Amino acid sequence: MEGVTEHLNSDAVQALASGEPQWLQNRRMDAWASYERTPMPTTRLEEWRYTNLDRKLKLDTLEPLGWIERSFSKETAPDRLVAEMEADHESSGHLVELDGSVAHVDLDPALASKGVVFMSLRTAVTEHPELLEEYLATSALPAERGKFQALNAALWTDGILLYVPRGVQLEHPIRVSRWLSESGKALFSRTLIVAEEGSQVSYVDEILSDDLDVQSLVSSAVEVFAKDNAQVQYVSLQRMGRGPFHLSQQRTIAGKDSTLDTLNVNMGATTARLDLNAQLVGSGANSDMLGLCFGEGDQHFDHNTSQDHVAPHAYSDLLYKGALDGKARSVFRGIIKVHKGAQQTDAYQTNRNLLLSETARADSLPNLEIEADDVRCSHGATVGQLDQDHLFYLMSRGMSREVAERLVVIGFLGEVLSKLPLGGVVAKLSRAIEEKLHG
Amino acid sequence: MSDTPILSIRNLHAKVADEDIEILHGVDLELGKGEIHAIMGPNGSGKSTLAKLLAGHPGYEATDGTVHYKGEELLDQEPDERSLAGIFLAFQYPVEIPGVSIANFLRTALQAREGKDAELDLFEFQDALLDRMELLGMDPTFAERPVNDGFSGGEKKRNEILQMAMLRPELALMDETDSGLDIDALQVVADGVNKLHEENPDMTVLIITHYQRLLNYLKPHYVHVMVKGKIVRSGGPEVAEELESRGYEEFKTAQV
Repeated sequence: MEGVTEHLNSDAVQALASGEPQWLQNRRMDAWASYERTPMPTTRLEEWRYTNLDRKLKLDTLEPLGWIERSFSKETAPDRLVAEMEADHESSGHLVELDGSVAHVDLDPALASKGVVFMSLRTAVTEHPELLEEYLATSALPAERGKFQALNAALWTDGILLYVPRGVQLEHPIRVSRWLSESGKALFSRTLIVAEEGSQVSYVDEILSDDLDVQSLVSSAVEVFAKDNAQVQYVSLQRMGRGPFHLSQQRTIAGKDSTLDTLNVNMGATTARLDLNAQLVGSGANSDMLGLCFGEGDQHFDHNTSQDHVAPHAYSDLLYKGALDGKARSVFRGIIKVHKGAQQTDAYQTNRNLLLSETARADSLPNLEIEADDVRCSHGATVGQLDQDHLFYLMSRGMSREVAERLVVIGFLGEVLSKLPLGGVVAKLSRAIEEKLHG
Repeated sequence: MSDTPILSIRNLHAKVADEDIEILHGVDLELGKGEIHAIMGPNGSGKSTLAKLLAGHPGYEATDGTVHYKGEELLDQEPDERSLAGIFLAFQYPVEIPGVSIANFLRTALQAREGKDAELDLFEFQDALLDRMELLGMDPTFAERPVNDGFSGGEKKRNEILQMAMLRPELALMDETDSGLDIDALQVVADGVNKLHEENPDMTVLIITHYQRLLNYLKPHYVHVMVKGKIVRSGGPEVAEELESRGYEEFKTAQV
């Protein structure tokens, strides 16, 4: 029973489950059973070839963070969290999660009266059990999908539910700010977004932390459903300090003629692993999948994506870019999977990496698996150094080498941001990239 | 010609940095303040190498001779120092920088001219940019586009001229600015350079070109012919006309 430890065990699951409705208790216990029977992934598995969990994740020492009644005030909250929240533009609603427990939620009352639900997952257990029973860890991220999906499904303490009823459109994004302060802990949080037919919503999740001396694990499970004709943008900004291992497992399920776009940004943490599966289940579904990472020092990013075309006439376009300095390392492993019957699929996948030092490294493994015959698919990957001609061009305009390098990186990563029509996020990330460049 | 030339090249030998292939075999050239010179030559004559070397391209290396710019030794300066000292190279193949707008790029370049301690006045910058674009007959939205990203050949060259207009060089090196341009685009670019020279008659211009056609629009005071890494003939505008009718053949054979 690999991965069962002094703190991560069935007692911990029992403790969480006690007092919960029976269906949820069962779901947790089933997930735990699944966790116990699933072997710990090793580098012998293609999907984990470049991330050695034995060395990168000290599971034995981690204590799960329990749920605690918390409140949020700007006076007592960490400065950095408050500063980032204040840098956000207008929002339709805001939620703050501190060390795995939701401490604050607000939602535009006009939206609440239209039936929009935005609340902590824990509250939703009693207030909207029907939604959780149907969607939570069922069709998107069930425990059976993998070792860590099971672990999260068994041990989640809190998280976020966003439900947007049929036809309701949110003018401003929903914003979630999450903060981790504790070392040596394991944090399990879930996000469930259900956008009903013809609805529209943008959702921006930002996770931050201080630098931690001792590793903590942050496990985020994200399930997003866009029903027919819905439009959903999901953005995840991971800007934690050094120390944490961030594990983000996401599944998006796009219905007929829906648009379900994602942006994943990894700039922080010591190790960040993303598993993103975009499933296009309705014909005419669209998914733009954007990603960027910017690493330095000994940061390690591992992106594992799949574009899963189940329905015909669907479109997906992935662009992931990484800039790496110091000894930082990134892995991109992406697959376009076109199922039988998914005719007239358009699916594209591009991964580009820019190495800023001799010791940085990027591995790129794009892949296609096509079982239909009338499709348009392409994939491409590049790993390049800072180009001498680029630098010369900028320096010949009077910029110092340092400024020229900075501009090339901003331009390189900025191409991803320019594809995202979310003003506040673009400004925030441009600033974050510049800050990181200045060291 | 004024007393001290703005640029003085003596017996310049140069090679590709990583290889032992000499490209320039002893170039002598003097440019006076405000003069327009053209260097013409066939492909592979070394004329583009000369332009890049003067701007400090790391791919080329001088092995002998001297270059003085405004009386100072030029060759040991970094490309950015040369730019700040007033040298501008209009590239034959401008580089694409996706994700950085022309306005942002120019703002960064002008900030470099202010130095670290002074902040560029953004309102003044915006006014100057609009003014320069108007002078060159450009649509203001042009500056919002990412630098050279997906630009046509003509747009890239116009962007070079816009940068030149903003940076106000004392010595402008035009490296095959006419390559890949149709006649309309060529005229627009030449008009731009002419306007900048009229506005600032002290600006010295060195045009590097294979063809005579650019010189129909940009009238040089002096024309030099470069063949196999040396200047083999210098004279007035009539040299260009000679070349137009007779070609480079006689220079290739009659070489020193």
